[in-house]
Amino acid sequence: MAGLTLAGQTGQLAAIAQVRWFIFTHSLRTTKGALELFSRIVIAVAITGGGLGGAILLGIAAWYFVSEGKPDGLALLLWPVFLFWQLFPVMASALTETMDSSDLVRFPLSYRAYVAVRLVYGALDPATVLGCLWLTGMTLGIGWAQPRLLPWAVVVLLVFAAVNMLLTQMVFAWVERWLAQRRTREIFAVLFFLAMVGLQLIGPMLSRYGDRSNATFHKVGQIASPVQAVLPPGIAARTLASGATGRNAAAVAFLAGLVLYAVGILRVLGVRLRAQYRGESLSEVSRDALPLKGRTGIRQGWDVPGLPGPVMAVIEKELRYLSRSGPMLLTFVTPIIMLVVFGIGGRAGNGGGFLQRWPELALPVGAGYALLLLSNLIYNNFGADGGGVQFFLASPASFRSVVVGKNLAHMGVLLAEVVVLGFGVSLLFRRPSALAMGTTVAGLLFAAPINLAVGNLLSLYSPKKIEFGTFGRQRASQMTVLASFVLQIAVFGVGGLTIFAARYYGRPWLAVVVFLGLAAVALAGYVFVLGRVDRLALGRREVLMEELCR
Amino acid sequence: MNAAGNATRNAPGALRDAAAIATENLTRRFGELVAVRDVNLRVAAGQFFGFLGPNGAGKSTTIKMLTGLLAPSSGRIEILRLDFARQPVDVKRQIGVVPEGLALFGRLTGAEYLTFVGRMYGLDRETTAKRTGELLEFMQLADQPKKLVTDYSHGMQKKLALAAAVIHGPKILFLDEPFEGVDAIAAGTLKAMLQRMITRGATIFLTSHVLEIVERLCSHVAIIHRGQLVAQGSLDELRAGVEAQAGTDAGELTGSGKLTLEEIFLHTVGGTRSAEPELSWLG
Repeated sequence: MAGLTLAGQTGQLAAIAQVRWFIFTHSLRTTKGALELFSRIVIAVAITGGGLGGAILLGIAAWYFVSEGKPDGLALLLWPVFLFWQLFPVMASALTETMDSSDLVRFPLSYRAYVAVRLVYGALDPATVLGCLWLTGMTLGIGWAQPRLLPWAVVVLLVFAAVNMLLTQMVFAWVERWLAQRRTREIFAVLFFLAMVGLQLIGPMLSRYGDRSNATFHKVGQIASPVQAVLPPGIAARTLASGATGRNAAAVAFLAGLVLYAVGILRVLGVRLRAQYRGESLSEVSRDALPLKGRTGIRQGWDVPGLPGPVMAVIEKELRYLSRSGPMLLTFVTPIIMLVVFGIGGRAGNGGGFLQRWPELALPVGAGYALLLLSNLIYNNFGADGGGVQFFLASPASFRSVVVGKNLAHMGVLLAEVVVLGFGVSLLFRRPSALAMGTTVAGLLFAAPINLAVGNLLSLYSPKKIEFGTFGRQRASQMTVLASFVLQIAVFGVGGLTIFAARYYGRPWLAVVVFLGLAAVALAGYVFVLGRVDRLALGRREVLMEELCR
Repeated sequence: MNAAGNATRNAPGALRDAAAIATENLTRRFGELVAVRDVNLRVAAGQFFGFLGPNGAGKSTTIKMLTGLLAPSSGRIEILRLDFARQPVDVKRQIGVVPEGLALFGRLTGAEYLTFVGRMYGLDRETTAKRTGELLEFMQLADQPKKLVTDYSHGMQKKLALAAAVIHGPKILFLDEPFEGVDAIAAGTLKAMLQRMITRGATIFLTSHVLEIVERLCSHVAIIHRGQLVAQGSLDELRAGVEAQAGTDAGELTGSGKLTLEEIFLHTVGGTRSAEPELSWLG
């Protein structure tokens, strides 16, 4: 708003901060709110721990490179930080909280103030907090090794942090835009598919060329080295290296390059922010929404013999929802991406990566990761339904059938993903053996019912409204996130220990037997919870409506 | 309870004999606050019943209790002579609801949503598809088959919510503010459907702030104020009650002739304000 003074704009920002504070303090009035705070504290402590640990390690490494006169090696530290910063928000979207701009645009907020609020929210992301801590560690390490380089390090790594923060937000904003509409979503899916096929061909090609792979990697390295040098982590490292060796003019030039990156990214992000500021709605309104001449027939609902109508209706509804959620689709392909990364990463290393050394574990690990990502949905079953939960409460269908429908839909997705992973493992590593498949299936039979049972409980006790169409919004309450972490650690701990022990004693098939035994117990627990879902839902209906019908 | 309320509350023949909806001392507390206190509603089968009250009077809380969305703190609800607490599923099978938030699933198309609702109410696939087509046509929602519900206008969403509420052919329809934010064309469609249901013997229970519409549509009205039922009966009974309480006739009260529902409402809940503060800064 042109007429608003700086004091007025500051007042607006203060008002936004105050509203957030009021929301926070009011949330503490309920037990759920207090538990949320507790969960936030635990997660914050865990993140800070990881951040400080990483900061110390990176600080020591940075000190080593600078004090040994090898400042170019700083690129080896900056690249992992950069990749983590960009990938973590996608991999752990439950921890990511971004601003819903529609809340703000109705106020006479200036564009600058709007951008400032968006950027501040971006800075509260765990990836940003961790990244900043790690860069602080590096700065101190560099300063310790060469005190005169400290001011340079501060400036360069600050700009590098800004580049990372802006890039994360830019990628989120644009991917959200592309995934919001069917046509761009389809283009995105095709590009992604082609990229996946391309990457998967690398594995067989490297296997085929066998011993020549080292030479190939040498060549690839030769090509990649100059490329990485002109990307933000490479430029940041070159700036510091130039500063360390007294080539100040070069250092300034490289720093200017890094600043240019920041400005460029900000401008591209600005295109999206300005559209949002103008009140853009990322809806499905497209040519599909235009009136059609003549009527189209109404298709009958899906049907699977043996499944009751309400359960089938819920399955159909869930799968339609998922298929229209770009962010969810992207989440589902993440395990395949990770498999590719580990597969190729393993080949790139001298001794091979973890999965390269134990390809038998590729399928179980991939399936476990897929289940982990699916827990985003499982632990907040009704989050995407929003006000629709009122329909479940008012309809004659039992809540149990609703929950069963949702659970079956999610398990269907998991099954499909495991099948795709099986193909991926065949291409990247080798065809999974019967033992690997047996271990995977038995492990899932154990892990899935436990996750579903706990997820059903948490969905009723700690629901949180989510928007399927938006990217990077917080997907569950902090309490749910914490509870799921604890459960996953327990489940994956038991799973890993079982597989390790079975292999250690030379009887890998024993893991299948143990998993099947545990699966029987887990299934009994699931049925036990399911039997109480109707009563629990009835008792929790007010909480469900309060949280989901906002 | 004022005179209008007394006139009907003490009506002979009381309660459940022919009542489609009956409540007995229905009460809902939120901590210290008593949102609804000892409400005794009687709605006969086939009535078009308007449930009125100022903001925060307890209308939505009552309708939520009547549809199973909220548990009463005490009291009883009988729908079609079925005890809601004991037979909730049987009751839900026979009622249709358009709640305050519409309860839609935004990322389905209109047809998909109605298909989903039909199947949740136990209709077979063929019947569901047939009724879905008919309802979309009737509500003038059939020409944009691929549009998601989230992209519907508010009026379209209201029409879709009403279509979903009637797809299983309910005997009683509960509507919470069905005409709020709806344009004249959409309102006309909604009214046509509701009138059609009434002529076929259904009972309709609606809350609304648009008193003109309630006056035109409803045969019977109840008024809730600060959580308590203060009037209940046919419009003529309410009119007579207000006149009796004022000790005069409508002509003297209004200066015109017949008391309108708005006048009855304002008289019943005491809608005049004394010593209006001056908002001198307001344009």
